[in-house]
Amino acid sequence: MSALSAENLQVARGKSTLLRQISLKFNATESVAIIGPNGAGKSTLLKALAGTIAPTEGQVRLGRRNLAELPAAERAQSIGFLPQHFEPHWDLGVAELLEIGAARSHGLAPAALEKTMAAFELGGLERRRWSTLSGGERARVLLAMVLVVDPPVLLADEPAASLDIRHRLDLLRALADRGRKRLSVVVVHDLDLAFSFYDRVVLLAKGELIADEPAARLLDDPRLDDTFGVRFERLRTGEGWHLRACR
Amino acid sequence: MKVWLGLAAMLLLAMVVAACAGNQWATPADLLRAVDGDQALRSRLLLDWRLPRVVAAAFVGALLGLGGTIYQGVFRTPLAEPYLLGSAGGAALGATVALLVPLAMPQSWLLPLLAFAGAWGATMLVIGISRVAGAVDAAGLLLAGVAVAAILGALRSFLMLALSDETVSLQVVLSWVLGGVQTPTWRGVALLVLITLACLALAHTLARRLDVLGLGETMAVAFGLDVPRFVMLAVLAGSVIVAAAVAFGGLVAFVGLASPHVARWLVGPLHRPLLPASALVGAIVVVLADAIARSALPPAEIPLGLVTAVAGGPFFILLLARRLRAS
Repeated sequence: MSALSAENLQVARGKSTLLRQISLKFNATESVAIIGPNGAGKSTLLKALAGTIAPTEGQVRLGRRNLAELPAAERAQSIGFLPQHFEPHWDLGVAELLEIGAARSHGLAPAALEKTMAAFELGGLERRRWSTLSGGERARVLLAMVLVVDPPVLLADEPAASLDIRHRLDLLRALADRGRKRLSVVVVHDLDLAFSFYDRVVLLAKGELIADEPAARLLDDPRLDDTFGVRFERLRTGEGWHLRACR
Repeated sequence: MKVWLGLAAMLLLAMVVAACAGNQWATPADLLRAVDGDQALRSRLLLDWRLPRVVAAAFVGALLGLGGTIYQGVFRTPLAEPYLLGSAGGAALGATVALLVPLAMPQSWLLPLLAFAGAWGATMLVIGISRVAGAVDAAGLLLAGVAVAAILGALRSFLMLALSDETVSLQVVLSWVLGGVQTPTWRGVALLVLITLACLALAHTLARRLDVLGLGETMAVAFGLDVPRFVMLAVLAGSVIVAAAVAFGGLVAFVGLASPHVARWLVGPLHRPLLPASALVGAIVVVLADAIARSALPPAEIPLGLVTAVAGGPFFILLLARRLRAS
């Protein structure tokens, strides 16, 4: 049985259809990169999978259960969602943000909070306020907030977009590594990183599912070039792959 | 802990100073004698007139601080305030109707009830307008709030002109509109204390969800909050609190705006400590403002709302300027 699945998912806003007939199954332990050109519906798919927007048709299942019928508190504990942009309205401290994240799970042991602080190297930041953190620190705090309850499913929406190259690499790698023990589904813009670190790649375009393959197989697939409208030169590098686009 | 002791001590000090202040100044020794059961006229006046008013001012201030914090939490902007968002104006309109329109109900029930209906209705109207206009940011809300407040103010003025006669003097309504803590009986003070404590408990139940809402709508939904439903619930609670404040203290501007700010400097933005801290700050501010209102121009009394507006207006301008410069 899959940990998370979408069945004939359709999302429409007004007259435009953002997602069309998407069916996907995710295992309890794997790392999946969602890629696609702008406007492909990557964010919409992720939000629908996370249950923060309701599909127009079809359904999302968490295990055997329909996500739409799951109590919100239970959903929040089972699915960690990392949004594309996060800017709290109040200038909260790091410890306070983690506390709010931890409150999703009733009776979370205080040790879990400390463990998370240590795992994300937030030891020295406890008392700092959000506004004083650097981009890399913010990304770590956000991830810690979402993962403090250790949800079996993590859905991340291009969280690295505003980070510099080193932090982006660290973050996308950490998210992929999580796929060894849990399910980790990440919208990735950087194709090199998607193919180098993730087990499986889902390719979307214009709201439709184009391909869903193990990373190594999709890499050589001509649909990749067609979808992005370029010709890729696939270069093997020390750590993985480099895709150079030519017209 | 230090902050809480400091706030409590400041409130106590403010109340003692306010109890001494007035048309005729008293000394702390006079106060002690009055509380001790002295039967002299001066002591009786202090005990039956000045002290209940000081205590009432403290609790009205606490309600305003609470209401302001909830409104700022719901609308996720430090510029929100019951007075600016029209809900206090709605409550005042309700109160005016209760005072001037002869209805078959005792006024002591009717007034808080209509004040609540007005506060809630006005806030829902503001939310509705800004939703329809597609503006859910701070500026859109404030604009809608200002417009609604202006309309409600005009309606209230019209009612006052059209309906007041010798039996209900304009003076009574005006003292409401300009804000001013009525001098209650001790029984009235007890009622106010109970209501305030109930409001504090109500606010406390919202605290955690206000924190989650403060993370932004996307995050709040992902963290399991039913955002539209919670906003409605919190607005309802805020309206109850504003209505209680208006029923006992009339239209008092800017306390609801300033108290949460000062409290945020002191205890940070988490709502569990922020709500009671903001209530304490509001209490201190209103006790002092009421003391100024009673003693600045003897034997006349300046309406409390004027005192807080004169002090609070510049504060609001300062906030706006800082925010504009930051963005």
